[in-house]
Amino acid sequence: MKWNSIRTKVLAVLAVCLAVGVGGTLMLLNYSFAKNSQALAVESVAGAQRLFNILETREISKMTAVSDTLVLNQRVRDAFAARDRGLLLTLNAPLYSELKTQGITNWMFHTPEPDMAVFLRLHSPQKFGDPLNRFIDKEVVRTHAIVAGNELAKAGFALRIIRPFPGPDGKLIGYVEFGEEIGRFIHEMKKQTGDDYGLLLNKRFVNPKFWADTSASLHRRDNWADNPTFVVADKTSATESIIQFQGDLANVAGSGKVLDRFNDGDSVFVRGIFPILDAANNTVGAMFVVRDISGVYRSMRNTQNMLLTVSVAGLLLVAVLMLTLLNRLIFRRLDRIIVVATRVVGGDFQTEIHVGSPDEIGRFEQLFEQFRCVFVDLLTNVPELQEKD
Amino acid sequence: MSVLYDLRILIEKKIAADGLDEVTVKGEIGLRTGRLVSLISVRTPDDPVAIAKMRQAAKDLLNISI
Repeated sequence: MKWNSIRTKVLAVLAVCLAVGVGGTLMLLNYSFAKNSQALAVESVAGAQRLFNILETREISKMTAVSDTLVLNQRVRDAFAARDRGLLLTLNAPLYSELKTQGITNWMFHTPEPDMAVFLRLHSPQKFGDPLNRFIDKEVVRTHAIVAGNELAKAGFALRIIRPFPGPDGKLIGYVEFGEEIGRFIHEMKKQTGDDYGLLLNKRFVNPKFWADTSASLHRRDNWADNPTFVVADKTSATESIIQFQGDLANVAGSGKVLDRFNDGDSVFVRGIFPILDAANNTVGAMFVVRDISGVYRSMRNTQNMLLTVSVAGLLLVAVLMLTLLNRLIFRRLDRIIVVATRVVGGDFQTEIHVGSPDEIGRFEQLFEQFRCVFVDLLTNVPELQEKD
Repeated sequence: MSVLYDLRILIEKKIAADGLDEVTVKGEIGLRTGRLVSLISVRTPDDPVAIAKMRQAAKDLLNISI
């Protein structure tokens, strides 16, 4: 191969075009995948937050409806007004069993202020008389209206509503409260979206001793030391390795945050996080979202491979066509001119140059043929040649 | 006698001995030396540059030292 030939230069240009084309295609596809995965991550965080809010609203409505019905029940009202704990338990136990299947795991009656102690815990009847003094307790005392929101208990999140309980004469006889663990939300969310979720609690709001005790009683591993600032209260994935977050949960923006994209084996995931506020608007925890985008990734890879193959094949085809065209239109005809010129110099005055096509090379062929004729005419009159003949 | 003419004769003998296309080989030598080999005769004056070119062309194309 001659490095200074037009063929080599054309081939080099085509090779550069091929490399640039393939490289550009790959870069474009990678960029497109990065944008798509970012969009998917944003959508999974926003979608999870929306879904969480919907579930929260739905459960608040459910608990509110139950409480609405309860305060209208005359027998319950009379038992509560009479502070008959045993009768109150007997009357409500069947309904509590039913509500537990619907996720309402906490049900309490409170005495009115100023002491506002727990009068009866349906979920733990033997334990009563303790004041809770939480934000929602203060808020319901202040407003005497339904208060709903998340409360971070010692062992986890609970969505609660608390409302005043009027007596037969309409005067306040106490409060009733319902609550359900937020942990179950993530399993419902997983069922609906297929994404994985983790419920994180800010360690500042959790008692480590209580966490250890609760972990022991629930026969789960005490994971307090796993992360410096938060503890994983619940998760939908068997492994905690996908939950990776550095930083303070309190600093997570209200709209959530996309974290990163990562690989686990052959799978590709994106993850994000959004804060969970308590009733007092403190960021006491966060929901970690992990979406499997392997399908998108594989699709992108397939497209990438297909485009790569098509690009290479296309450019190779173009290269072959270009070289064939150049060969037919230029190189072969130039070679023919060189052969004829050489033969004329060698003494063959009969071989002619035929004009192949009326193009640029054709004009040169014509010119060279005319030149050849002049040259041959000149030579035929040279005495030395005539002598030889 | 002309050295150039002697070279011409030697070249033509070599072409004939090897069975080469005389027109093409003489054409290539002519293009390399800038002379028409067929016009070299006994009366052609010797030119050291032309002689050197002729010998080099014979060596390159016919692989002979003359």
